[in-house]
Amino acid sequence: MSTGYWEDIEIGARRELGSFTFTEENIIAFARKYDPQPFHIDPAAAKQSLYGGLIASGWHTAAVWMKLVIAERDRNATWKSGSRAGVSPGFEEMKWLKPVRPGMTLFYSTEVVEKVALHSRPQLGLLLSRNEARDGEGTLMMQFIGKGFVERKPPGERT
Amino acid sequence: MSILPFEDFTVGRVFPCGPYTVSKDEIFEFAREFDPQPHHLDEEAASKSMLKGLSASGWHVCAIAMRMIADDILNKAASRGGVGTPDARWIKPVRPGDPPPLLVEGAETPGPRRSPGVGFPTIHIPLVNAREQAAQPAMIPIIAKRGSA
Repeated sequence: MSTGYWEDIEIGARRELGSFTFTEENIIAFARKYDPQPFHIDPAAAKQSLYGGLIASGWHTAAVWMKLVIAERDRNATWKSGSRAGVSPGFEEMKWLKPVRPGMTLFYSTEVVEKVALHSRPQLGLLLSRNEARDGEGTLMMQFIGKGFVERKPPGERT
Repeated sequence: MSILPFEDFTVGRVFPCGPYTVSKDEIFEFAREFDPQPHHLDEEAASKSMLKGLSASGWHVCAIAMRMIADDILNKAASRGGVGTPDARWIKPVRPGDPPPLLVEGAETPGPRRSPGVGFPTIHIPLVNAREQAAQPAMIPIIAKRGSA
């Protein structure tokens, strides 16, 4: 069982995070606040756009990843008690590959791809994760490389 | 409305955006929906966290930057949307009362190869917090209409 410490997290460890259904209502609600481009907030204008209809903001599809990570962590007792992760220095290679439309359900996952020890912060390690959202047929819709700081074991307990 | 064509996104050109001030209530509201961790939801827990005080979710910071860019650039550029961002860094916490203006800088303009009529200018987005520390720089290629199209 994982303690949640950086040392005990394995490269290749993968978690299915669950799904989220995008609707016209939640797409427009997010975009009105944070991404008010016509093809995210106005179904009629969206129909005339390059996309031929309303699509979700890429930042909405990414924020839902975060929502599902926390929900999964809270469901999982070992992660919750561990709770040794939470702060991130950023991300790389965010790709919005296909338009996400109302009625689509996306299935999210995260997989550890790299671990980096930090000389500047010896009490923390960095985890890199490959994060994906796919539609019901398995088509990749969104992906990015996430970065997260995770607490390291006390020096005396590292093997 | 004046339209900013692809050709206007020259390297080094600065586009001022915002300001957008993020309140404590907005930090809580975003975090409750998308990032319900104690350091974004609870001031006391936040003061004991690595970030030493309440701060906005990094995804919220991205969303705020997006809002400023949409209002001040993309909706004036006949933008066709974006395809992602190669690199975004959360360098300093964004606190209630942050952030003031965002300066977007044209970074490079790789020519489109298979998309007649549009270009993909890349913009560099240094978002600065109220203490004038860089809180989040990012590089974003956007899809902009070419002036000649």
